[in-house]
Amino acid sequence: MSNSKARPNDRGGREGNSDMHPELQMALLQAQTRRHFLRTLGGGLGTLFVGTSLAEYAGAATDAGRSETTSLDFTREPSSPLAALPPQFAAKVRRVIYLHMAGAPSQLELFEYKPDLKRLDGQDCPASFLAGKRFAFISGVPKLLASQYPFHQVGQSGHWISDRLPHLEKHVDDLCFIKSMHTDQFNHAPAQLLVHTGNARLGYASLGSWVLYGLGTENQNLPGFIVLLSGGKSPDGGKQLWSSGFLPSVYQGVQCRSHGEPVLYLDNPPEVSRPLRRTMLDAIDQINQQTYAAFGNPETITRIAQYELAFRMQMDATDAMDIRKEPAAVRAKYGSKPGEASFANNCLVARRLAERGVRFIQLYHWGWDSHGADPKEALNLGFADRCREVDQPTAALLADLKDRGMLEDTLVVWGGEFGRTPMRENRNGQEMKWVGRDHNPGAFTIWMAGGGVKPGITHGQTDEMGCEIVKDPVEIRDLHATMLYLLGFDHRKLHYSFQGLEQKLTSVKPARVVAEILA
Amino acid sequence: MSNLRNLCSGNFRRYLRWGDRISGQLRLGLLTLAPILTVAVLLALLPPDGNERAEWAQFIGRFHPLVVHIPIAFLLLVPILELAGLNHRFSYLRLSAGFVLGLAMLSATGAAILGWCLGRSGGYSGPLLTQHMWGGISLAAVCWLCWMLRLSDGEQRSTFIYGVALALGVGLVAWTGYRGGQLSLGEDHLTEHMPGGLRQVLGLSNVQASLASAGANTFYGARVEPIFAARCVTCHGPEKHKANLRLDSYRSLMRGGKDGPVVRAGNVQGSDLFRRITLPLDHDDFMPKQGKRPLSADQVKLIELWIGAGASGTLPLAAIKDAPTGSASPTAVSDVTFEEIDPAEVTRLRAGIAPAVAELRKRFPDILEYESRGSANLILNASILGPKFGDSDLEGLAPLAEHITLADFSRTAITDRSASAIAAMKQLRVLRLMHTRITDSTLQRLGTLDQLESLNVFDTPVTPAALPTIAKLPKLAHCYAAQTAIPSQIAVPQPLIGKLVF
Repeated sequence: MSNSKARPNDRGGREGNSDMHPELQMALLQAQTRRHFLRTLGGGLGTLFVGTSLAEYAGAATDAGRSETTSLDFTREPSSPLAALPPQFAAKVRRVIYLHMAGAPSQLELFEYKPDLKRLDGQDCPASFLAGKRFAFISGVPKLLASQYPFHQVGQSGHWISDRLPHLEKHVDDLCFIKSMHTDQFNHAPAQLLVHTGNARLGYASLGSWVLYGLGTENQNLPGFIVLLSGGKSPDGGKQLWSSGFLPSVYQGVQCRSHGEPVLYLDNPPEVSRPLRRTMLDAIDQINQQTYAAFGNPETITRIAQYELAFRMQMDATDAMDIRKEPAAVRAKYGSKPGEASFANNCLVARRLAERGVRFIQLYHWGWDSHGADPKEALNLGFADRCREVDQPTAALLADLKDRGMLEDTLVVWGGEFGRTPMRENRNGQEMKWVGRDHNPGAFTIWMAGGGVKPGITHGQTDEMGCEIVKDPVEIRDLHATMLYLLGFDHRKLHYSFQGLEQKLTSVKPARVVAEILA
Repeated sequence: MSNLRNLCSGNFRRYLRWGDRISGQLRLGLLTLAPILTVAVLLALLPPDGNERAEWAQFIGRFHPLVVHIPIAFLLLVPILELAGLNHRFSYLRLSAGFVLGLAMLSATGAAILGWCLGRSGGYSGPLLTQHMWGGISLAAVCWLCWMLRLSDGEQRSTFIYGVALALGVGLVAWTGYRGGQLSLGEDHLTEHMPGGLRQVLGLSNVQASLASAGANTFYGARVEPIFAARCVTCHGPEKHKANLRLDSYRSLMRGGKDGPVVRAGNVQGSDLFRRITLPLDHDDFMPKQGKRPLSADQVKLIELWIGAGASGTLPLAAIKDAPTGSASPTAVSDVTFEEIDPAEVTRLRAGIAPAVAELRKRFPDILEYESRGSANLILNASILGPKFGDSDLEGLAPLAEHITLADFSRTAITDRSASAIAAMKQLRVLRLMHTRITDSTLQRLGTLDQLESLNVFDTPVTPAALPTIAKLPKLAHCYAAQTAIPSQIAVPQPLIGKLVF
C-alpha cells in the first residue's frame, strides 16, 4: 500500500501485503463488491484462456492497453492532496461561486412572468394540472394564485422581472436564465442533496468536492472549498451538502463561521509562539507519516494536510475573511455590517476569497420556503425580506466581479432546490392564513453568470401557468455536466472508483451539456 | 401433424411397403406446402394497400416481429449441424438436422402468415414491404424444399441440391431480414451510424442526401419539407405509405391519404395533419406515433404558419415573417464534443519546455500550471503569492515567457522594471495587473501583445496616456480600468469604444 497515493481503492497497491492492519483489511474487503465479482466473472473465462496459452504476450498487451487509456489521472503527491491539476481541456471558468437559496424561492414572484396566471387568480386549478401529481402539502382542488408582485421588463434583453430585485435587475443582461430546471425530488433535504451531490441519497460527493478533486486549489494557505451560511436556519440537507462523500475527506467543504472568528481556535493559545507551534506540528507530522507508511490510509493524509493547512491559514484566513479591511464605500455597496451573520457579509467574503484563488465558494441563504403557514414564510411578508437580504449583495458581488475582470473566469450560479406551484397552498384542504405556494419539482428557475455562459438569454420555457416545462428541460445532472464542462471537464471522465463503480457527479443516467447556453 | 407422427413411428413403417412410404412422405409434403401456397396466393390477390383493417388480424399480426426470429434461428442452426456433423466426432448432430429443418419450415410458414396479417391490416404498403413479404414466403418454400430433400436422403445428387437449397435459404434469411430491418428501423439503418473511415472504404457518401426537392428559396422547400423529411417520411414516404399518405413531395402531400386531404390551405384547424401533431401526446391519433419523439414547438409553429399562409408550394421563403428560426434543422445547436487527449502529442508539444516547467514549479509551486492536460500553454497566477512575488521572480520565468497565455499579477510587488518581461509574453490572452504599481510606461511597451483579449489595470496609477497603445491591441475585447487615473467619462479612441470597463 505504501506506493498508493491518495486513492483508497487503488487496486494495484492492494495485493501481497499480509501484515496489513486488520481494520484496513476489513475496509479493503468491503471495497470488493458484487460489481467486482460480476466483472471478474465475465472476464474470468477469457482471462483463463489468455493466462494459459498467451502468458508471454498477455503482460505486454495489458501494459500497452494501460498506456493508451484515456481515463484521467488525479493522483498527487501524498503530501499535497490539494495540489492544482490542469483541467482536461482549456476551461472557461477557473472558480465557482454558488449561491444556494435553501427552501426553494418562488420563481413566480421573481423571474417567471405569467400574465395568464393573473387572469385566473383565485379560480379553481384545472384538473389537468393536478392529475397524477403528488404535492408536499396541497390536497383537493387548490386555487390558482397570481404573482404577488408586479413585473416589468428590464435591460437590453427585455427580461421580465418582478419589483423585488431592484439591484439585481441592473445586471439582468449579464445573467443567463434557465427557466426549465427539473428535479425529481419534492422534499427539501433530498432535493438539496440532488442539487449538491447529484444524488438524492446520503453519502455522495458534493459538486465542490468533485471540483476540488479534479482541479485542486491554487492557494494552499486557504481551503479550496469554503462554505458560508448566512445565519438563520441551516439547510435541511445539512452538512452532507458539502460533504466529500466517498472522495477522501480532504476534499470536503470547510464551513467557516459567519460571525466572530471565521475558524475557531485558529490562533495560537497565549504563550505559544509560531515557531513553537511549528516544532509541535513537525513532531505530529512525523508520527502521522509513520502511520501512513504502515497502513496507507488516505485519511491519514487528510489529517496531515489539515494540520498544515491550519498552520498556514493562521496567516491568511483571518485576513481573507476580514471584511473590515474593505473600504466603507464597498461595504455599503453590499449592505454589509461587519460582525453579524448575513448573506451580504458572505458575498463580500466570497469576492475576497475568489480573489485569493479559492476554487469553490458555496453560499447558503435560508428561509425561502414560502408555504404561507406563518408570516415568516408568507410570499407577501417573509419572502420580501428574503429578497431584500439577497438582492443588493448579489448585485454588488456581480458588479465587483465584473469591474475587476473576474466575471470572465468565474461562474456564479443562483438557485434553489426546486420551484413553487402556481397554486396557492391549501394545507389539508384549508386555505392558509398567509399567502404561500407549495413545492413544485416540475419546473424551477436558476440563473448563471460568468465565463463561458451566454449573457442576457433565457433557456427553456414553462407553460402559461409556470407549472410544467414545455421546452428544453434541463435535469440537475445536465446542469452539473454543464458546470463541469465550463470548468474544463467531460463529466464522464471525472470519476472515482468506489463500490466497484466509476462514481460520477452526474451518476449513471446520461447527462447532456446544455450547449444552448454556452457562449 | 398426425402424418408426421406416423411417419416417425417404427410401427407404421414396419407394415408399409417402400411405395407406401414415398406416398406418405408426399402426402405430408403436400399438407405442409398448402399453407405456404395459401399465403402466396393471399399476397398475390390481397396485397397490403396502406389501409387499416380488422382489429383481430392486427392483433395477431403484431406478433410477427416476435415469431419471425424463430425460423431464423432454426434455419441458421441447420448448416451448423450439418457441417459439424461432417466431423466423425460430431456425426450424431446430423441426425437432428432434419428435425430442426422441419421446425424451421413450420415456424417460417407461421411467421409468413402473421406477416401477411400485419402487412394487410396494419396500414402498410410500398415496394420494400412487398419485397420483404415475397422474401419471407420464398424462405418458407425453400425450407420446405430442403426438408423434403432431407427426408429423401441418400443420393449424391439430391445431397448436392440440398446443399445449394440450404445456402439459398441462408441467403434469403439475410436478405429478407435486411428488408425487415429497413421497414422497422429505416432504410439506412445499417450505415446510418457507420464510422466515417468505414464509409469511405465502402464508397458511401458521408453527407446525407439532401431530401429537399422543392425550391430551396420557397418557404415550403426551405422550412416545411425538411421537417417532413426528418420526422415523417419513414412511415409516410416512398417505401412505406401508411394510411396511403406520402409526405415526400408537395404533390403527394396535397393529395392526402385514405381519408382525403390532410392539409386545407389557409385552414389550420381544419387540417388533419395539424390536428394530429398537436393532439395530447397520449391520444390515439397523435403523430408521430407513440414511442417517437413529437415535433418540436418550433416545427409545429412553422407548419401552422405555412398552412395559415395558404399552404403554397411556391410561396417565397421571406414571405412569412417572424417564423421561428433554426427549427428547420432539429439540431440547430449541436451538442458539445469533448477533445480527446493524445498523450504522445502532448509529450511532443511540451518537449521544449517540460524541463524548464518542472524546474520553475519547484521554485514557484502552485502558481504555474498548464492550461489543460492536452496543452503546452501555461497559466501564471502570481497573485497567489501576492507581495511576495516581485520583479526578480518574474525574470526567472523568462524561459517560459512565450508559452504563457494567462498572467495574473494582481497584488504582486512587480513594478515597471518588469515591462520587458511582460512584453515578451507574446501569446498572452489575459493580463491582470490589478492592485499593482504598474504605470503607463509599462503599458506603452505592451503593443507587441497582439493576442491580448483582456487587460486589467483595476486600481493602478495608469492614466489616459496609456490609451493610445491599448487602442492598438488588435484582439482586445475588454480593458478593466476602474479605480485608475482614467476618468470614466473620458472620450476614448475609436477602437476602444465599448471596451473600457469601469
